[in-house]
Amino acid sequence: MNEYVIEMKNIVKTFGEVQAVKHGEFTLRRGEIHSLIGENGAGKSTMMKLLYGMYPINSGSIVINGENITKLDPKIAISHGVGMVHQEFMLVSDLTVLENVILGFEPKKGIGIDYEKAKRDAQQYIDQYNMEIQLDKKVSQISVGEAQRVEIIKTLMRGVEIIILDEPTAVLTPQETRKLFEILGNLKAEGKSLVFISHKLNEVMEISDRITVMRQGEYMGTVDKDKTTPLDLTKRMIGREVFLNIDKTYSKIGSTILEVKDAWIPSPKETSKIRGISLHVNEGEIVGVAGIDGNGQSELVEAITGLRRVEKGNILLNGKDITNMSPRKIRDTGLAHIPEDRNTRGLNRGISIENNLIAVQIDESSFNKGIVLDTVAQDKYAAQLVKDFDIRPTDYKTLTSSLSGGNAQKVVVAREVSMKKKLLIASQPTRGVDIGAIEAIRNTLEKAKKDGAGVLLISAELEEIISLSDRIIVMHEGKITGELPAGEANENNLGLLMMGGMTDTSEAGKGAVTL
Amino acid sequence: MDLFGNLGKIFNASLIYATFRASTPIIFAALCAAITQQANILNIGTEGIMLVGAFTAVAVSYTTGSWILGVLAAMMGGACIAMIMAVGHIKYNSEICAIGMGINLFAIAITKFLMNVIFHTNGTFSDPGIIAIPRVHIPFLDNIPVLDTLLNNWCFTEWFVIIFIIVLQYIFYKTVWGLRLRAVGQFPMAAQAAGINVNAMKYQAMLISGLIGGLAGAHLSLGYSTQFVENMTNSRGFMGVAAMYFGGANPVLTAVGCLLFGFADSVGARLQAYGFPAQFVLLMPYLVTVLVLAVSMAIKLNAAKKRESSLIVHGTR
Repeated sequence: MNEYVIEMKNIVKTFGEVQAVKHGEFTLRRGEIHSLIGENGAGKSTMMKLLYGMYPINSGSIVINGENITKLDPKIAISHGVGMVHQEFMLVSDLTVLENVILGFEPKKGIGIDYEKAKRDAQQYIDQYNMEIQLDKKVSQISVGEAQRVEIIKTLMRGVEIIILDEPTAVLTPQETRKLFEILGNLKAEGKSLVFISHKLNEVMEISDRITVMRQGEYMGTVDKDKTTPLDLTKRMIGREVFLNIDKTYSKIGSTILEVKDAWIPSPKETSKIRGISLHVNEGEIVGVAGIDGNGQSELVEAITGLRRVEKGNILLNGKDITNMSPRKIRDTGLAHIPEDRNTRGLNRGISIENNLIAVQIDESSFNKGIVLDTVAQDKYAAQLVKDFDIRPTDYKTLTSSLSGGNAQKVVVAREVSMKKKLLIASQPTRGVDIGAIEAIRNTLEKAKKDGAGVLLISAELEEIISLSDRIIVMHEGKITGELPAGEANENNLGLLMMGGMTDTSEAGKGAVTL
Repeated sequence: MDLFGNLGKIFNASLIYATFRASTPIIFAALCAAITQQANILNIGTEGIMLVGAFTAVAVSYTTGSWILGVLAAMMGGACIAMIMAVGHIKYNSEICAIGMGINLFAIAITKFLMNVIFHTNGTFSDPGIIAIPRVHIPFLDNIPVLDTLLNNWCFTEWFVIIFIIVLQYIFYKTVWGLRLRAVGQFPMAAQAAGINVNAMKYQAMLISGLIGGLAGAHLSLGYSTQFVENMTNSRGFMGVAAMYFGGANPVLTAVGCLLFGFADSVGARLQAYGFPAQFVLLMPYLVTVLVLAVSMAIKLNAAKKRESSLIVHGTR
């Protein structure tokens, strides 16, 4: 009999122009826990969604239990014994747990649903794997950890033998993670085969039998857990090459411009809640915030810019308390903000480049003649920015909807940077843009710093953080796990801090890393 | 004051039936809106569906001399109108409120036009040839004072609506179809992941909604009254939608909301006789609706705020 229950070979998957998976390989043995790791966008989730039949593959082969599968969708995958627990739970929050569990294959009694039988069946699995699940509660009333166990029960009730878990611990507290690992251990003992997608090295090292690494859509090899180290995995995940170099200048560090004092910030996600964070940014420096997405960085930025409530603590801008002030007032106090998602907060894609460029200054006297807009002044300003920032197309009357990601981002950067505020918050400034635009945007940030602004740079790209920042703060689960001067930072020590847990906690804050 | 001297005349046993009688058309309309709401489709076209139903019922009852055919034709008519909305919304992805309002305006115009063409009259069409939905006479109640006022001589569809509320409640919350309908309405992706055909469910909900809406109209023109009047629904469809919101698309709670409207309607009618401004009384249920919705929303928001808070550490039990 075949050694593997799953064999994926030479997988290629493109979405439009983007090659999500350039070369994917994956095998799964019966009764093993196999981790699939890599950075954001490495293609690990895509690989498993292909296996679950959520999208068709472009080329390559998928073999399940020795059978070459040519046509695949989630229903077929389930019938072959493959189930998936998605990162975003597929649960209807106003229905009860039991109703969610049976949805789609409800046991019937007459014309009604046989809730008694459903309950007995579900309870049997709950007892077998020693899970804590309250079947009669509504999903909206249970914790994320419990919701995840519900998702696992759902797959089990459908009779699957192979369970894919897509970043299952991303939304869990450490205690809930422990509970999940116990359950995964039980499932493994029962002979189920598990795929564990993660980018948290400590968890991967704890739970896996084998580990497959992906980087930028490429298969980077499979290793036995016993024959590898976190350092080795980090190297494989992140790679060595740094493809962009900025001539870093060290400008004169001025006085403190931004000060966050013990701020408590709410979030719908447990791992993104910030329970007491303190940091400061000085004039003339770039402070980089490194961390895996969803560890509180977005919440921090939203709190500073007035887009999210601060529950406790203070935020000072230029010495003035701006805590819970309106975004507008905060901007007027001296802050510019490049939001992390240009399509929701950065731009109005339905209006022209010009209108986007002056959007935040539309009511200033230089763009108005009395109550009438001064279109001549606006045109002049827009033309200048389009030229300075090399925005293409150069016709500033063009609708922003027709711009490429890089040029759209340049519009945001141009608008924010040219206001020459004392503090610039740049959140994922180069996400999803081409290399040319990346370089231009990074040079712009560097120039803002040279001109004396304080810059808070949030990025999931380690290489970007290292090449731009003067000082680096690392966040993990809403906490600062370390702070280092840029000169001492490298992919390894930052990577480990980003995964949390690997630091010597007593030394955290000084950035000591134990390897 | 005269009003207080006559309280006994206003609030007596007959008010209970009067309330129920005034509520019934709204209950049918609300159930028409509730079934699509469960699939997350706001059926603002209830008013129009109902009006088309009312006209069709009168027209068919008059020409065939059968109230049953009238009612069935009204349901068919309602279903046709609902399917127009369904195709526009589900297949062509157009905004349901826009189609709904279009349907409402269309219904007023087409019924007016057809009344003119078929019956050569304007405003009201009333004729002994219109066969009404029969009333259920229970002989042995004739001599029991209170029960006779309360329960005797109900219109057939008034008895039916009670059964229908219960049936719908069972369908929504105890059957496979109801569970899937609710899942489709609340989180279509999850429903799809569970192998449910989301669009098929939505079409089915719209179809049944149309049948109920047609029945609502038929009850209005053949049960509640025996005539067709231009725009005779007079916002009952909208009241039904409001009551549906009040009851969160739960049939029983929705019906309770309708009773509130019916109660205000019949009390207002009685108060008017004593010089009390009826408009004020009519305003009450809406005021209550706004208050109830506001309070429940505030509670919900507060709970969400607590869930998100960083100050509260959520235990893992």
